[in-house]
Amino acid sequence: MKAFRIPRLLQFVLVPVVVYAVTRLIFDVLLGQLIPASLMTMYMFFVLAGTFMAFTFTEDGTRELVAPIKALVEDPSRKWLRNVVFVVLPLALGFYTYQLRTPKPEAPLELRSIHPAPPSTVKAYDKRFNLLTLENPYRKLQKEDPEAFAEMVAAGAAVYIENCQYCHGDKLDGRGPYAQGLNPVPANFQDVGTIAQLQESYLFWRIATGGPGLPKEAAPWISSMPIWQDFLSEEETWQVILYLYDYTGHAPRSWEHE
Amino acid sequence: MRGVAMKLILAAALVVVCGLAAPVQAKPGNAENGEKIYEKRCLGCHGEEGDGLGPAAEYLIPPPRDFTLGLYKIKTTAFDDDIPNDDDLFRMIRDGMPGTAMPGWSDMLSEQEIWDLVAHLKIYAGLEEETPSKQLDYGSQVATSEDSVEKGRKLFHDGDRCSECHGAEGKGDAIKKLKNDNGDRTWPRNLTKPWTYRASSDPKDIYARISVGIPNTQMPSFADPKSKKKLSVEERWHIANYVVALTKKGLEVRPENTVVKAKRIDGEIPAAIDDQAWLQSEPVTFMLVPQIIAKDRFFTPANDTISVRALYNERDIAFLLEWDDRTKSIPGDAKAESIADPEMGQDAVMMQFPVTIPLGAEKPYFLKGDAGHPVNLWHWTSGTTEAEAAVAMLDGLGMAQQTPREDGGGGLTTGSGYQDGTWRVIMKRSLTTDDAENDLQFEEGRFIPIAFANWDGSNSEIDSRQTITTWYWLQLEPSASAEPYISGIVVALLVFGALVWWARGAARPGEAA
Repeated sequence: MKAFRIPRLLQFVLVPVVVYAVTRLIFDVLLGQLIPASLMTMYMFFVLAGTFMAFTFTEDGTRELVAPIKALVEDPSRKWLRNVVFVVLPLALGFYTYQLRTPKPEAPLELRSIHPAPPSTVKAYDKRFNLLTLENPYRKLQKEDPEAFAEMVAAGAAVYIENCQYCHGDKLDGRGPYAQGLNPVPANFQDVGTIAQLQESYLFWRIATGGPGLPKEAAPWISSMPIWQDFLSEEETWQVILYLYDYTGHAPRSWEHE
Repeated sequence: MRGVAMKLILAAALVVVCGLAAPVQAKPGNAENGEKIYEKRCLGCHGEEGDGLGPAAEYLIPPPRDFTLGLYKIKTTAFDDDIPNDDDLFRMIRDGMPGTAMPGWSDMLSEQEIWDLVAHLKIYAGLEEETPSKQLDYGSQVATSEDSVEKGRKLFHDGDRCSECHGAEGKGDAIKKLKNDNGDRTWPRNLTKPWTYRASSDPKDIYARISVGIPNTQMPSFADPKSKKKLSVEERWHIANYVVALTKKGLEVRPENTVVKAKRIDGEIPAAIDDQAWLQSEPVTFMLVPQIIAKDRFFTPANDTISVRALYNERDIAFLLEWDDRTKSIPGDAKAESIADPEMGQDAVMMQFPVTIPLGAEKPYFLKGDAGHPVNLWHWTSGTTEAEAAVAMLDGLGMAQQTPREDGGGGLTTGSGYQDGTWRVIMKRSLTTDDAENDLQFEEGRFIPIAFANWDGSNSEIDSRQTITTWYWLQLEPSASAEPYISGIVVALLVFGALVWWARGAARPGEAA
């Protein structure tokens, strides 16, 4: 008894389709993390290239793969199907081209670096800070004087609630009451991809100089982050940084651990 | 026999209705654990004593709840019972209060933790031993229908029952100064914006607010038999259905709407705000955010969205801006001033464009431009008792540097009107000018950055005290071109030719193989 086998050409088509569908299912549906279109295109390019190489590895395999295509034009019994393909394929590609060339009202993509490389020194509070060596002056209290440290964190909490929660949210999740009206959206400190990846000196730079202090690749003209050195003292800036790490349970990166 | 059957059916209906009313079942919470959670998550806004006097109290509108009063907005006990159900408290913590700084906590706290918090909150008002005696009677819900909505509409306006505060069109614009029991200013809900409802726009929630009222505010109970405006259960369902129908369709903020599409029309651009021609342009609505970025910062806005339509012809471009504002602010007008919070300014709106359409990603700073990137600011003001509404052109080089043109309007013309809580303003200019150095030259098809700012003069919004948007896009919809059709046909013919060539090659054995 001969077992049913999916024709090789159909296999060749099915593999990328299934890979695409499963990837979409896992990321978009199950995890709720949309994959950027550019990343998906790149990934699918490698999947297609890989599938092509695997299916044309042996000559017999290649022959079996292209046999149905060759039969389409060589086998007189397939004439009817051939005529259909010869009409449908040019029409489909013509329509695709038409769609591609029709101007769309979609806004231009704005690519920006979310965590740009910091400068080595930064000017704030009428002083120059070396970001490579700058440390949170109150961090050491965590070990030396936990009570004083807790007071510092509480002071930071008050600074946060009074100044930051409107955009970054009560839960520090970047979803404050005004977040929806801002583009780019406020940073989500709960996310492992933000403050958990950064040193406290980086946060000091970002808070003190705000959106306008960003380098060009980070599109400073659209960031709604205020220049906080105009509103907060140096001490308050360090306190609020303590609070961000304390509330989220993240630890700042530091030279010591690396 | 029939009587017994009837009673059984009624009892079954009651069980179903009560089941719907209380989707969560109260569980005993651990108040001690609740206190710990409170200290970490709630104290910042609601204060150490639970009195709503946390560090941000004066910067939040509405202010954080004072738990010591034991009064809550969302309450499904009977109108004459001040105590809320545990389920009500649970729900407010779980889902938060839309349109306020209070977020929903279901993603950060477990159900048990929320019950613990409920137990803790009750202590602030000495409610831990109290149980509500009476529940709100939902009766049997009247499904919405044209007939029910029409009945609701009549009841809403009958004797100014609801329109007294909520306005003729439900936008909360009735000229009345409302206060809560503590003497703080409050505003009636704009019922056309269901996303600002503190509970939800489900008819059941609306029914509950109408029946119970909103404790600590001037929103009364319409179930109270002593009320002159009292309503039967059925009538309250009709009003709930009417309120749902008030929703402003097509004017809600959608995150995917980032482009204002200017529609090309033949002939003159309409000069009247209510001209039907404006309906050809699909409105786009943006969220307004208070200006909390540059000095002086502003935290307590009144207006929350702005909708934009745009039309253009071969000569001009015009925008119709529309936004809900509860108060028409005309300084000098005695009635307007009696409603306004001092100091009163004019209502105003501003559109912002870069002087040159950016070629790359670089744009002017979104807050009125910057030194290297000037912007054009189209500034409309509502006028005073001495001056009419007017439009001015300003050159912006930043928040602190906005210079009015010497000729005032800079080629802008305007028309405007205020009705039932909504401003509509037209601003029009020619597509191009002969001063390309200082004026934006509009171009078909290009994506042009556009931003907005708004002032409610009765809410002391003057100068930097304003609401703003970040950059969005304007596109003058390009006129139809034949190019896409031609490309499509060329590609189809080429592919067909290649296929025929291939088939011919294959048909000649020896050559192809």
